[in-house]
Amino acid sequence: MIAENFEYSAPTKLDDALRQLSNEDTKVLAGGMSLIPLMKLRLAAPGQLVDIGRIADLNFIHEEGGTLRIGATTTHYQVENSPLVRSRCPLLAEAASHIGDLQVRNMGTIGGSIAHADPAADYPASLLALEARVALVTAKSKREIPIADFFVDTFTTALEPGEIVHAVVVPVEDQSTGTSYQKVLQPASGFAIVGVAARIRKSGGKIAMARVGVTGLSGKPFRATQVEKALEGAAGSPSEIQKAAALVSDGVDANSDLHASADYRKHLARVYTMRALAIALSRTA
Amino acid sequence: MKISGSYTVPAPRERAYQLLQDPGILAKCMPGTDQLHKLAEDEYDMKMKVVIASIGGQFGGKVRLEDQHPPESFKLIVEGSGKIGFLKGEGLLNLAANGDLTEVSFDGEVQVGGTIASVGQRLLDTTAKLIIKKFFQKLSEVANN
Amino acid sequence: MATTITKSDTLVGKRIRRREDPRLITGTATYVDDIQMPGMHHAVIVRSPHGAARIKRINIKKAQELPGVAAVFIGKDTEKVGPVPCGASLPGLRVPHHHILAIDRVYFVGHPVAVVVATDRYIARDAADLVEVDWEPLPTVTDPEKALAPGAAAVHPEWPDNTAFTYHQEGGDVDKAFAQADVVVKQRITSQRLIPSAMETRGVVAEWHTGDRALTLHSSTQIPHLLRTILAQMLGLEENRLRVVTPEVGGGFGSKLNVYAEEALMGFVAMKIGKPIKWIESRRENFTCTIQGRGHVDYYEVAAKRDGTILGIKLKLIQDLGAYHQLLTPAIPTLSVLMMPGIYNCQNIRADIVGVFTNAVPTDAYRGAGRPEATHGIERMVDILAAELKMDPADIRFKNFVSNDAFPYATATGLTYDSGNYAAPLVKAMDMVSYKKLRQEQAQARTDGRFLGIGISTYGEICALGPSPATPAGGWESATVKIEPSGKVTVMTGASPHGQGEETTFAQIAADELGVGIDDVLVVHGDTAIVQYGIGTFGSRATAVGGAAMYYAIQELKEKIKKYGAMLLESDNVSFANGACVDNKTGKSVPLAQIAAASYRAMKLPPNTEPGLVATYFWEPPNFTFPFGAHIVVTEVDRETGAIALKRYVAVDDCGKIINPLIVDGQVHGGVVQGLGQALWEQAVYDDTGQLITGEFMDYALPKASNIPWLETGHTETPSPVNPLGVKGVGEAGTIGCSPAVVNSVVDALSPLGVRHIDMPMTPEKIWNLVQAGGKA
Repeated sequence: MIAENFEYSAPTKLDDALRQLSNEDTKVLAGGMSLIPLMKLRLAAPGQLVDIGRIADLNFIHEEGGTLRIGATTTHYQVENSPLVRSRCPLLAEAASHIGDLQVRNMGTIGGSIAHADPAADYPASLLALEARVALVTAKSKREIPIADFFVDTFTTALEPGEIVHAVVVPVEDQSTGTSYQKVLQPASGFAIVGVAARIRKSGGKIAMARVGVTGLSGKPFRATQVEKALEGAAGSPSEIQKAAALVSDGVDANSDLHASADYRKHLARVYTMRALAIALSRTA
Repeated sequence: MKISGSYTVPAPRERAYQLLQDPGILAKCMPGTDQLHKLAEDEYDMKMKVVIASIGGQFGGKVRLEDQHPPESFKLIVEGSGKIGFLKGEGLLNLAANGDLTEVSFDGEVQVGGTIASVGQRLLDTTAKLIIKKFFQKLSEVANN
Repeated sequence: MATTITKSDTLVGKRIRRREDPRLITGTATYVDDIQMPGMHHAVIVRSPHGAARIKRINIKKAQELPGVAAVFIGKDTEKVGPVPCGASLPGLRVPHHHILAIDRVYFVGHPVAVVVATDRYIARDAADLVEVDWEPLPTVTDPEKALAPGAAAVHPEWPDNTAFTYHQEGGDVDKAFAQADVVVKQRITSQRLIPSAMETRGVVAEWHTGDRALTLHSSTQIPHLLRTILAQMLGLEENRLRVVTPEVGGGFGSKLNVYAEEALMGFVAMKIGKPIKWIESRRENFTCTIQGRGHVDYYEVAAKRDGTILGIKLKLIQDLGAYHQLLTPAIPTLSVLMMPGIYNCQNIRADIVGVFTNAVPTDAYRGAGRPEATHGIERMVDILAAELKMDPADIRFKNFVSNDAFPYATATGLTYDSGNYAAPLVKAMDMVSYKKLRQEQAQARTDGRFLGIGISTYGEICALGPSPATPAGGWESATVKIEPSGKVTVMTGASPHGQGEETTFAQIAADELGVGIDDVLVVHGDTAIVQYGIGTFGSRATAVGGAAMYYAIQELKEKIKKYGAMLLESDNVSFANGACVDNKTGKSVPLAQIAAASYRAMKLPPNTEPGLVATYFWEPPNFTFPFGAHIVVTEVDRETGAIALKRYVAVDDCGKIINPLIVDGQVHGGVVQGLGQALWEQAVYDDTGQLITGEFMDYALPKASNIPWLETGHTETPSPVNPLGVKGVGEAGTIGCSPAVVNSVVDALSPLGVRHIDMPMTPEKIWNLVQAGGKA
């Protein structure tokens, strides 16, 4: 369990880090909860690691113009326990609390997690349901893109060479919105076999807004828009929820592995969508 | 691991079949492969660099085409090995005409060994699908040109 | 002789915290990997990525040329090192020659083919990647039943039937029992391969002392002395020039009750390069190259009368051996046969074992070693029988238990159960869960459409391995007890504890016996240069055999103490109690420390007495011990997802006299957790080509603290007559009692669907499929 040789640097300034990313053989280390095991197994062998963990400017959570901006190196533990996240965006705090175990939550970071784009990671479901945006930065430029555009495919993101995640931007939740993240845990790795994030807002006794993000089910996380559409305008009765949730797996090319077949995953997605929706609904004001 | 699926290639069946038999085209479409060197009739030497997210590895091996029934079907056999493991895949590709398009369906089995088999179970299914998807995306690009 | 302890406050029986823990939890203990030596080199082993292959060519040139590489050895270099031994003997056993490095053919993924030695472990690891092996992959077979089918790939070409041995055992008149039966139930029951997963992987440091022609070998092992004897033979060394040191061992669970190729290989390398060498097994290697446990396919038949009386048991046992025999591989299933009847009064049994070679790492002893499989089998069958007869699973057990007046009880398998009160733990466990009320709750839950299950398992097991005629390398244990000139007590035990807490429990016993404080006693083990020959720690034997040896050594010492005491008190009538000799006439006393000092100063010796206070005792147990117990598990199955919730876990164990209830509970907890692992999560999965596809903790689901329910423990105490301490053993009990209780509970939960049996691990998808199919698998 020894990695191949690599160069390592730990700049303390963002600019310094970005300048070091010109080489395609360079990987950013942002917690290392996936990268380090891959390197130790020699499945990954980057020539250089730029550890962004010591850049103070990347570790922040602040409220700004109706959004929360969460710096790339903010740990899962910080997200889980931040009073700001818990009150302004409880869904994200709930999702963070489901990641791995305490040790992983103390080391792993939100930027590292989404940049790795593991199809079974916990955050993406919530970030999609939140319609989050991702702030990206290179040595020369900055841009902000919707999270749905960020996740391109299995382990594939919209990050360009030399570009890193600077922050994740989520909306400050309306107090009347009810949210929930429900997850079936893979018993060995702790990754999601299926994870479903739901957000519901009611108005005049009807569901005015429904957002559903799904992880683990297929090659990339996605928003279950057919479920959302089926709910919007409905009263939210158990049968309506069940009917809407049943749509979540339709047309999905589901993952299949040792821990869950494609059919079972699709079934779990339906059940957990139902559960996440029911809990989210119960949390609406 | 069983692998099956189908993709639509924007070319008539005869042409789609030809593209799939052409080592230059295959090399272009296989992710991380520069060229295929002919070893024997329908057998080529392959070097492939697979990079998916952080996971990367060089594979060396062979590509073989067998049981050709132009323009309907053929068997594709890929064998490769590298530091992170080895794989052997065998699949039957069927081409069905659909107007000016061709529906390519495949059905095969891949055996994976070494580190990737032992520790990469959770990733094999999704990454295999990704590689196949990339192959057909590239093939479609080539067919369109 | 009788012991008189007048001290009111004894240590035995107290919940005393483990004395070894502070160093373990503060990182100050010394494990093999903590050993540093000047000039030490590091080894990395090149292993087969194939389940079976011919080695056409090995090119080590590039590896040799990497700066820092000192040597590379391949199979031809080590050909003369003795084979990895099989210590078990069975009639007609086929034993493949097990070279320490494969020469021309490999038989499983992980099979070692070369060793790279370098100045640091990083260079060695890089160089390992530079060893080029030209493989010719060969057909493989990994499923033991498929391996027995005609036309299967031959693991060893010389034995195309893949059969290493067959073994038959019979007691009573089985055919008659089955002919007289009102009912016969049959079931195929599997016990999947498990990965022992000790927290510390294996590791070896070997140092060759050229001038003395002596080798010191540090290894993370459960059996330092046996390792020394066997390694000396393998390496062609004189045994007294080989010293084996076992530093701290971070868990073994049977996986370190072995002699491994790497241990001999490091001895070989050290002798070749004349420098200390270290090899630390990686976790990846631990998955594929350390022995695995279980690997049974069992076909059971049980014959019974309509009233539930069990008349006879038949078992066809297919044991997945892997590619080779490790130290005890073929013996493990024979332990299952010995325990076949469980704790039931059934005198008619027939068992047939087939030991099958497969292209996988060998199986061998893993916590319970044969007894969990046997208990799982009989406890599942009893539940199946109860369901067939519509009896309560508790009632059918009470009906069949060996009765209290039947001890010592001779089983149909040739054992003699020492003592027992089998109903007591079950009664207690039922009381703890409020069994009657629980069944009422279950009835209500069922009408509400919920799947609530109550599972019982009652087990008996073999501990204190064992009388020497029944144990491959001798079943006795040794102890030396020294009272130092200052009065401090040093105990050297031949058992080699590695996490079981004997540094505490032995000190409790010794302190009580000698009337000293626990802190006055030091327990030393695990160094063949210091400790007299011993057997080791496995088979829940350390206290029952090693503790008894210590007890007898102390009794001998007490005689000496009294002689010195009598001399110092100038009396001919003294007794020894509470750490002092007392003149029974005058009441004058002299403390142990003063007696010890006098014994070493030896100004004056009592007649026929040697100086000093040292006694060594090698104790041969007259029998095994047979602990027992009852576990009750309450589960609820989520109808929608198949997920199993563990709602309650009650374990009542009877391990004889309890020395330290805290340690006993700890052993039960750990054992139960490993049992839960087998029942619910763990499974070594091989594909058809021999790849272990659960080769890391990302896919091999070891139980985590967050998965474990509160474990409610209870005890009954039925002393063993086999040893003077009355103890039986508890290291494996939790594992043995657990898995059938969990499966019985889930089967009970799903019984309204007609579910009769579920194989382990009971994954949610498996359960969901059963529910979907209306109970039909």
